[in-house]
Amino acid sequence: MRLMIDLDECIMAGECTYNHPEVFAWNDDDQPVVLQPQVTSDQEQTMAVQAQAVCPSGAIRLVS
Amino acid sequence: MSVTEIQPVDPREFDSPEFQRNPFPIYQRLRDNQPVYHDRFHNRWVLTRYEDIDGAFQDNEGFDRAVYDPEGDYQFGSKHVFGPNILEYGNGERHRWLRNIVANQFVGKGLTEFIPVIEQIADELIERVSGDGEIELVDAISTQFPIRVISNMLGLPREDEDRFVGWYQALIAGLGFGGDHLARGLAARNEMWEYLEPIIEARRSRPEDDLLSRIVDAELDGQRMSTDEIKGFIALLLAAGGDTTDKAIANMWYHMLYTRPDQFEEVKADPTLWDDVFGEMMRYDAVVHIQTRYTTREVTLHGQVIPERALVRLYLGAGNRDGRVFTDPDTFDIHRSDMHMGRENRSGRYRSELPGHLGFGIGRHFCMGYIMARQEAVIASARLAEMMGNARPKFAEHEGITSPSVDSGGFRTPAELWIEWD
Repeated sequence: MRLMIDLDECIMAGECTYNHPEVFAWNDDDQPVVLQPQVTSDQEQTMAVQAQAVCPSGAIRLVS
Repeated sequence: MSVTEIQPVDPREFDSPEFQRNPFPIYQRLRDNQPVYHDRFHNRWVLTRYEDIDGAFQDNEGFDRAVYDPEGDYQFGSKHVFGPNILEYGNGERHRWLRNIVANQFVGKGLTEFIPVIEQIADELIERVSGDGEIELVDAISTQFPIRVISNMLGLPREDEDRFVGWYQALIAGLGFGGDHLARGLAARNEMWEYLEPIIEARRSRPEDDLLSRIVDAELDGQRMSTDEIKGFIALLLAAGGDTTDKAIANMWYHMLYTRPDQFEEVKADPTLWDDVFGEMMRYDAVVHIQTRYTTREVTLHGQVIPERALVRLYLGAGNRDGRVFTDPDTFDIHRSDMHMGRENRSGRYRSELPGHLGFGIGRHFCMGYIMARQEAVIASARLAEMMGNARPKFAEHEGITSPSVDSGGFRTPAELWIEWD
């Protein structure tokens, strides 16, 4: 599984970067980026689902 | 013509009845003349300009939410009405973990699925008063509604809702006032904790599909929350999820009835505008006026040095009225074009590049219930206004929005709000 952000949907809410800073960060253009796209362990899976659930614009995708 | 003399703020003004009634003139003097105010009397620092408050919220290296002690652990406020809770866990990993357990219940799919329950509770309360022709909004609706919603979401028995409303009102009074109110608040907390203990134990052995079960079940590094932590968490959700939303509803109605009756007519004709009433209320006179931070290092601002480990008060209520950011900041206007009026972002940044209000905070400690609060306030207000048809103030005069103790963390709201309709 891979984590991706749809930047067309992103509203810059900042939920992912604040709640999961080990995985998401702002780049210099004020866009969020995925630092660690591969989701393998159970812990990463839980985190990815949490991040998806609190993203208010539904911009976070988990694709296989 | 004489030049107005600049009158420095005396720290005792924060304790004056005038400040509790109307803090805005003092906010303005601070913003214009003393943007970094060292209050030696209360031993704290005060920031009042929008960009300084935003800066402190964004700077997690320089400012922490919890009492910062470089030598050891966070110090918890053991006398706090809520008990140990998420608000006291500072900027660390544990705070994020606690937050993430419940956060998705208040946004997105978790919340969407819960909206019918919110609507049902609103309708039940409105139905009770629909034949009356007049109500006192605070007692009949606003202090009732959010607490019933959150207790439902937690999965507490519906037949005990009235008891929760009672405990909640005592907790809140204990939070805002001191003395007897604090004693009664602590007594209510203990009573509630005793009531909760068997329910928590029951969820431990037999989880259900509710928020309480998720709180009980959540693990960090193989460890679950202690029973005391769970009780503190629930008390906080009841209070934070209830109190702020309750007062937000009352503030929205106050400004429609008394400040902008002209815009109220527009809102009655187009209920979707309640969303903008909510946004502008959060700027113009948000329920919470103060957030506290502690510096974790020396911070230099406007040429002044705030030392490490200083208590810094961020006056959101003052930043929201900063004329450097908002045009005609002292005018309540639901059609504001110089502010992001829609749903708030934790980041405080928007694609439109417009500034947002500061009422929910920004950054790591941004209000977790921001969408739910807005939804509750808008749903209840729109349905209530529709039932009333031609809602209007019962009394021509009103003492206004006030706070018994905004400076001790009290929230601003009207004490009573009488409304009548045909």
